[in-house]
Amino acid sequence: MGFWEILAAALLLVTALLVVTARNAVHAALALIANFLVLAGVYIALDARFLGLVQVIVYAGAIVVLFLFVIMLLSAAQADVGINPLSRLTPVAALGAIALAAVLIVATRNPPASQPVGNLNGGLPQAIGPVLYGPWLYALLAVGFLLLVATVAAVALVQPDKPLDALTDEEKARHTPASKEEVRR
Amino acid sequence: MNLWLVTSALMFAIGAFGVLTRRTAILVFLSVELMLNSANLALIAFAKMYGSLDAQTVALFVIAIAAAEVAVGLGLIVAIFRRRESTGVDELQGLKG
Repeated sequence: MGFWEILAAALLLVTALLVVTARNAVHAALALIANFLVLAGVYIALDARFLGLVQVIVYAGAIVVLFLFVIMLLSAAQADVGINPLSRLTPVAALGAIALAAVLIVATRNPPASQPVGNLNGGLPQAIGPVLYGPWLYALLAVGFLLLVATVAAVALVQPDKPLDALTDEEKARHTPASKEEVRR
Repeated sequence: MNLWLVTSALMFAIGAFGVLTRRTAILVFLSVELMLNSANLALIAFAKMYGSLDAQTVALFVIAIAAAEVAVGLGLIVAIFRRRESTGVDELQGLKG
């Protein structure tokens, strides 16, 4: 364990703590970006160079920006974005988190020793590509389809409900119960 | 004892703490992202340990699925906010038994 590894691990934990304790939602999202950038460096150091770049582009670049966008949208609308006022529950949650961490650390304390099954080749795209398009091809296609479905769902979810007087007569007829039509006649 | 596995476990626990204590849906969601990334860190530490590119591929899938999940999740949060003027998770009690 060298100096840089310990520094990176400490930075990861500090920024993670900031994410869950910052009072300002924008600060929490910025701490998450810092966490992801350190994580990208760690990935590159662990011979996962392509994943390190994807982490910067997709996570820090796209996902957190989407989060910031929604946080700005909601705080512009005076939405409440704070931490829990029920502070008496916080120690219980902290105890649970400590227990969870202890269980996970004990569970991964002695990973089974084994010979390396292959060569990572630095995790470059030409190393990952044959695996991604070979044994994992169907999973890749499924993920692609999932992204399409999620895009459609995201567009469908945020469609505004039309107010009643903005509906055309035809749409009104479709939405009003048939019995009402009968009564009117 | 692997430094990155321990870091990953601690990050996961911190994320779980955030999920339990945060009061608004969007910050709960932010903590969930933290937990997803700690799982990715563990996958990549194992990939390095065993020289397995399959683990890195799975981590790539986790990132892609997280992107899909964020699109739907943020859409849900915006839709809930439009309808109820709040994203507080304590106020969403429509399914209370």
